[in-house]
Amino acid sequence: MKILISSHRSLAALVHPGNSSDLGLLVRIMAALVRISSVCYRGVRPLLFRASSLIRPLAVQKKDRDCPYFISAKIHATPSNYAGSGSKAASLHWTGERILSIALLGLAPVAYYYPGPAVDYSLAAALTLHGHWGLGQIVTDYVHGDFKIKMANAGLFLLSTVTFAGLCYFNYHDVGICKAVGLLWSK
Amino acid sequence: MALLLRTVARQGLCSSRLQFGVLYRHAVPMGTTAKEEMNKFWTKNTRLNRPVSPHVSIYKWSVPMMMSISHRGTGVALSSGISAFALAALVLPESYPYYLDLIHSMSFGPQFLAFSKFALAFPVAYHTFNGIRHLIWDLGKGFRIPEVYRSGYIVIALTVVTSIGLAAM
Repeated sequence: MKILISSHRSLAALVHPGNSSDLGLLVRIMAALVRISSVCYRGVRPLLFRASSLIRPLAVQKKDRDCPYFISAKIHATPSNYAGSGSKAASLHWTGERILSIALLGLAPVAYYYPGPAVDYSLAAALTLHGHWGLGQIVTDYVHGDFKIKMANAGLFLLSTVTFAGLCYFNYHDVGICKAVGLLWSK
Repeated sequence: MALLLRTVARQGLCSSRLQFGVLYRHAVPMGTTAKEEMNKFWTKNTRLNRPVSPHVSIYKWSVPMMMSISHRGTGVALSSGISAFALAALVLPESYPYYLDLIHSMSFGPQFLAFSKFALAFPVAYHTFNGIRHLIWDLGKGFRIPEVYRSGYIVIALTVVTSIGLAAM
């Protein structure tokens, strides 16, 4: 948007009112078209419209008459325009979820070819966290109301803590996750 | 020249209509977050005791819809399984090989064992392959409807083949 404004300003600066040459006229038409297209803003299309309208200025005249309105809307500005909160927490959480998923995908063949305590504990951590975040999304989707949300998340946190503790206990005192799967499948 | 005059006049018109809304150029940031907006929606509507319009009960089910909820379902099932396993590890007195031999001694038969392996492998395989499909969507690829169906069928096929293969091991 800022680019649009600055480009139209620079174009406007090029216009010399007294210039009657063909080149000057073309530049003036271009400036006008930029302004028309920016007034008749309709999502991504004005960018395309602008390019094509330079080729067909006659078509623009009709378009000019067709869209006397302009879009007025309340816009959620990006966090950088905010006076107040500018937290990237949600975005980072999303990215973290994807990275963890990929890590878990990579752990599977490693667990098969190199079973052992390192992979066991990594699996315990990755599985628990992946499950915790996944169930957290479900809570966000279906649970509404401040108190209920708090209670659901507290319960989830408790469940995930117990799960991780149990898996670590199993890894330490018992055969471990990789060996357990191996034993189960050998029967 | 006439074009220029017309656009300038329009701009004058635009600024006079500012009270009807915000010109897209001068983006005014809203004072609430999406979360706050959602909370407002739910508190208001639950307070007014408004019924929710039928959605899942009336909308025609499609393969992508079923696969999506199955992804969530398998996720919940697997997570519950892991949590149950962890809880059992903390609570039960004996070790894992002991309980495994206990189940094995009950002599259920090879078909039952193969079926239970299949039953374990199936949700893992489905959730894994559909998870990869989700990651591909996160890259921005494969959103066209034919592509969605195609990738969906590939996931189902891979799931069945992998589950059978794993159960046979």
